[in-house]
Amino acid sequence: MNSVIPLIKKETLEDFLTARGVFSLIVASVVLSAFSILLVSNIELSLLDNAQAVYLMVSIILALASLVAIIQGSDGFAGERDRATLETLMLTPMTGQGLAAAKLIAMLFSWLILFVLCIPYLWAVGSTGQNLWAAVEYLSLMGTLLVLIFGGLALTLSAKVKSFRGVLSIGLTVFLFSGSPVLLGPALRQSAVGQMIDLINPFADALNTLDSVVIDSQGISFQVIRLTIMICYALGVLWVLYTATKRVEL
Amino acid sequence: MNTIEVHGVKKEFGEKLVLNDISLVVHKQDIYGFLGPNGSGKTTTLRILLGLLQQDEGGVRVLGMNPVSAGVSLRRRVNALPESHGLYGWMSSQTYLKFFAQMYGVTLTPQNCTYRLQQVGLSPNDARPINTFSRGMKQSLGIARAMINDPEVLFLDEPTSGFDPRGRREIHDLLLKLNQEKGVTIVLSTHILDDVERLCNRIAILDRGKVRYEGRLALTDRNQPSRYRFHIQKGSQIPSSWSYPGISLMERKDSWVTCLIDGVSPAQAIKTLVEGGLAIIEAEALSDTIEDLYLTYTTRGADE
Repeated sequence: MNSVIPLIKKETLEDFLTARGVFSLIVASVVLSAFSILLVSNIELSLLDNAQAVYLMVSIILALASLVAIIQGSDGFAGERDRATLETLMLTPMTGQGLAAAKLIAMLFSWLILFVLCIPYLWAVGSTGQNLWAAVEYLSLMGTLLVLIFGGLALTLSAKVKSFRGVLSIGLTVFLFSGSPVLLGPALRQSAVGQMIDLINPFADALNTLDSVVIDSQGISFQVIRLTIMICYALGVLWVLYTATKRVEL
Repeated sequence: MNTIEVHGVKKEFGEKLVLNDISLVVHKQDIYGFLGPNGSGKTTTLRILLGLLQQDEGGVRVLGMNPVSAGVSLRRRVNALPESHGLYGWMSSQTYLKFFAQMYGVTLTPQNCTYRLQQVGLSPNDARPINTFSRGMKQSLGIARAMINDPEVLFLDEPTSGFDPRGRREIHDLLLKLNQEKGVTIVLSTHILDDVERLCNRIAILDRGKVRYEGRLALTDRNQPSRYRFHIQKGSQIPSSWSYPGISLMERKDSWVTCLIDGVSPAQAIKTLVEGGLAIIEAEALSDTIEDLYLTYTTRGADE
């Protein structure tokens, strides 16, 4: 456990002191700024209901958080392997599971920082309307679960697939695959098949939960099924990660 | 108890047999050198000894433990300098050492950090990021990291590559001091024969995944294996099957054979060969430099 803390510290610092970390923060700020300005100043978008605008923002934030988690997860083992730094880490008295735990916790720290960075943008878009704080609360929960699911999955792949690019392309494909049903038309999404796809898709679950909370002002009792599914996904990914990192090879 | 024992280790990567029945022993406080050309299996052997790779067949014990199953408890007692230095370019040398000290649970005071950096010839006040360092400086820092937990066994892959002659000499002195004063067993893999001659007391020469030679490096020791060339009378036949105890055939020509004599005196060897039908007219002791050994065992495999 003593080795986990310095590794978390190193991973977190790496996210801010390296070009990669600074780049992802700048990209997040630019994307959020652009959407905030559009939602506030664009004639058509500014006609959106305030709750709709908040919902759009939190959706974008969740997509960003998932993408960052996939990139960081892919880098976890495979990136270190590519940079030839994994060997020295594996020489330390730390198990593969310890390394994975530290990297996952560091990913959650990154998400926390992105979350804090998002609050002023959300406030700028939704301060005059209702459900802003409910949106923030649920965003923190949904974001954490999505980071665990997508980040954990990418980290698992990273422990097994040898190249960063390989893991990243698989991770992004999975993410696009899980995000694509959200783009289906309303009629298809209302059908039994559409509802089923929505229910088993963790990204759609997160968006539908936020839709329910922010736009429809529904309470926790309406969210139980989707939350349970997401928690099951997160636990499943953690278990797979635990198993996959019992033995990490170069 | 031997510090390292390797018996019949085989390792394949896909179809390629990288290690073929490797066996060797490293005693406590040895400085043991792995020699061999690129692709001979040196790095793979080191990785197996460190538990970073699992062998397909055979047994490995390091400090009495199986490197793979012992895992953390072994890694607390050993350390290594991999071929790639494994440095984080964005860190400074001090941050890097402190990070690894924490990973090993070692308390590194500022004085101790300064001492360790100076020990490998680095300035403790250099706050530049590591990616601005020269190759030799990176190598020095890697060596400082490898010693951070005061290991009982230190594995070094090409430890002096990138150093100028003075830097190489300083690293030699440091490793000899570690070995003699602290009793650290050192296993090093290198191409640089000067490293081997200055540091190692035992060596293994690997070629195409096999140990071609393993033994002490005291080449002038009469009790140790030595090479002789026996000149044969013209017209005399060299037996096609070679099975003389203690005498290994290394090279054969029409008028002479080169043999490695191990465990028997040259006189006994000559007697055995003559009784075996070889018409020896002259015996020539070959001077065995490390370079001779290396060239003999790597250019012409001992089993060929």
